[in-house]
Amino acid sequence: MAASISGYTFSSVCYHSANSNSDHEGFLLGEVRQEETVSISDTQISSAELIQVVEIHNHDPCAQLFSFYDYAGKINEESLNSILKDRRKSVIGWYRFRRNTQQQMSFREQIIHKQLTELLGVPDLVFLLFSFISTANSSTHALEYVLFRPNRSRFNQRITLTIPNLGNTSQQEYKVSSVPNTSLSYTQVIKEHGAEFFDKDGVMKDIRTIFQVYSALQDKVQAVCGEVEQSERVKEKIQEDVNKLKQQIALRKRKTAEEEKRLRESQNADSHSTPEENTEPSLASPLSRITFHTPSAPERPSTSPNPPSYADLLSQDDSLLSSSSPPTSAALLPRPQAVGSPGHPTPGPLGMALGLGLGLGTSSNPVTTPSTPYLGNGDGSSSDSLDRQAAGQEDDEDDEDDDEEEEDEDSSEYENLVSEAAHLPVGSASILAQGRPAALSPDGDARGSQTT
Amino acid sequence: MSPEVALHRISPELRPLLCSVVRNGRVGLDSTNCLRVTDLKTGCTSLTPGPCCDRFKLHIPYAGETLKWDIIFNARYPELPPDFIFGEDVEFLPEPSELPHLVQWDAGNPECLLQLVKELIQQYHHYQYQRLRESSRLLFEYDSLLEDPNYGRNMEIYAGRKNSWTGEFSARFLLKLPVDFSDIPVYLLKDTALDPGEDVALLSVSFEDAEATQVFPKLYLSPSIEHALGGSSALHIPAFPSGGCLIDYVPQVCQLLTNKVQYVIQGYHKRREYIAAFLSHFGTGMVEYDAEGFTKLTLLLMWKDFCFLVHVDLPLYFPRDQPTLTFQSVYHFTNSGQLYSQVQKSYPYSPRWDGNEMAKRAKYAWVTAWKVFAFCMAKVNSCCKYLKDQSDY
Repeated sequence: MAASISGYTFSSVCYHSANSNSDHEGFLLGEVRQEETVSISDTQISSAELIQVVEIHNHDPCAQLFSFYDYAGKINEESLNSILKDRRKSVIGWYRFRRNTQQQMSFREQIIHKQLTELLGVPDLVFLLFSFISTANSSTHALEYVLFRPNRSRFNQRITLTIPNLGNTSQQEYKVSSVPNTSLSYTQVIKEHGAEFFDKDGVMKDIRTIFQVYSALQDKVQAVCGEVEQSERVKEKIQEDVNKLKQQIALRKRKTAEEEKRLRESQNADSHSTPEENTEPSLASPLSRITFHTPSAPERPSTSPNPPSYADLLSQDDSLLSSSSPPTSAALLPRPQAVGSPGHPTPGPLGMALGLGLGLGTSSNPVTTPSTPYLGNGDGSSSDSLDRQAAGQEDDEDDEDDDEEEEDEDSSEYENLVSEAAHLPVGSASILAQGRPAALSPDGDARGSQTT
Repeated sequence: MSPEVALHRISPELRPLLCSVVRNGRVGLDSTNCLRVTDLKTGCTSLTPGPCCDRFKLHIPYAGETLKWDIIFNARYPELPPDFIFGEDVEFLPEPSELPHLVQWDAGNPECLLQLVKELIQQYHHYQYQRLRESSRLLFEYDSLLEDPNYGRNMEIYAGRKNSWTGEFSARFLLKLPVDFSDIPVYLLKDTALDPGEDVALLSVSFEDAEATQVFPKLYLSPSIEHALGGSSALHIPAFPSGGCLIDYVPQVCQLLTNKVQYVIQGYHKRREYIAAFLSHFGTGMVEYDAEGFTKLTLLLMWKDFCFLVHVDLPLYFPRDQPTLTFQSVYHFTNSGQLYSQVQKSYPYSPRWDGNEMAKRAKYAWVTAWKVFAFCMAKVNSCCKYLKDQSDY
């Protein structure tokens, strides 16, 4: 149980008491509330605590001692009524003031308390005892107050009485008291002037306007949500279209690659290309080591100084596509750009492969230029793909040993095409001429120039 | 705080009430300790002049404990009855209807407060009895004593502080023993520095536990009685028998005390008789005797021209204890300047003789003793003479 008394009520009681020349007593008016606090701690999900809060609003001093009881301590109900009148319902306790005595309920106080509890019908009537102690030379006077709850067990009788804002207010904030002001004058003034601050429901006007602003903001947010949802749906649809198209392209390319392979095989059976065969494995081995994997967070490296033409990109694509090796190893090709790309020339099948081979042959750098991870987004912006290619370049050196890992790490929804250069023939000069392998990277130009 | 100081400081309207309490206040069995007043404070503002104290602490002896009750008046309204705070007995709440002097408080009657305090003590006794009910054994003790009219009406109990840690229950019984001290000769009672007050013997029995396994009895006598019986060491009461009851033990102690008192009274009379007898036998030789307590007797006797003094000291427990005879020469001094004397304890004596018999036998017995004494005296005489002759030379 907790109790609080407003500062002015407390000082009023003290004033009445201290000015009396004998013991003093009176009644405490107020109300009792039940408060439930729910607390969440690490050990429990929630624990609800029910406490009673006694609030003392006002007091009603008795004019003299023995005004409502007789020598034996028996209460006279009529006298009690004439003292309390219509305030009887709001009595929650009574108080007594005596100087230079112990902080303990006396014999008569206990008897009276029992009777008051019954008569007033308040089961938890409280008793506030004031005790005034002066030093011998009257230099220091101490006012002590204890709030008792005598109807409970003997060990739990004292309640702490809090007086809001009594203390060091420089360190704490000035709190608005929870004890309401029951004075009539106060309510009158508030009524008169309240209309400027409060609307007809008793809510402060400012609060209402703020709430309106808040509602408006919420509406706007809802609208934006709708728009976002729509654009997301559109995007999703486009994504699906793009995927479908890609699949078709991949299918078509595989078919053409297979046809050419068959064609080549029939050609190779006639001609004997020993030196190429010798170099093939040597070429093959570094090529096979080329692995690329898509970096999980696509970087945006600086665009290469000589962005290749779309034709080059396509030719590189096709050359890699023409091989029938499964897309297990690394080479990630730039994708044809659906939107915003300069053109869509038909892909030359072998240009890329030879370019690859050349690139490898001439430079000690085993990194090959065209094999770049395609990390483009659905928009198909060309700059992105170029950047991605550069990114792919940077990753090449690290990825040589990571052949197997590449498959797993490939989170891109776009197909990664294998470097089919391993299976491609080294052969024709025409392809070499076509191939422009190195244009895609900072190093690429040099190589390209070297090769050509 | 002495009563005078208290009376001086209290508000004048309340003075008569306090006066009767501190001067005549005897409450309870232990009336040798009267009521004490301390912590006199005022309920008026500090600017009020003059003696205006109206609240104080009253110390009341009860069952071996001292109750400290706060009594609260209001100096500005002296006609109003007081309020009480019963100290540590927070559960003691007497029924006001049982306190007639509270219900009909009359501030004009100086005895009112004292009577009210007595009624409160009665209620307190009831309250302690209720507390005693927690131990059936001790309750039985109480009830059995209550039935006996000798003890029942003069009993105070204090059902003690239950030790909240161990749950131990203790109680103290204070009983006034119905022993008649009126026949004790007055001279014995006179010799005390304090106002003797009422002669009373109180038996305090402390039970340290509810099962009566640790029982400590103690006998308290008023100072005059204690002196009359020969000091505090004279009377040893028997220990409480384990498994015994108060109803058996208390009469035992009572009897013991009564016997002792009887003995003392008898002793007095016997001594008187003895001295009377000697007076009649040796009347002419009587030098002096104790006519109040009959403890001493001095005779001047002569045998064959040899005079000597005989001092007879009669002990307290005469005739059980033998009187001491001291023969003293009237002629000779010892080296230290005292009269030469010889103490005689072993002479035929029997406590069963009456005074006359003793006087008669004394005559004969003493002759023999005196003869020895005279012979010694003669020897001493001749030695002195010889020495004197020697010195003449």
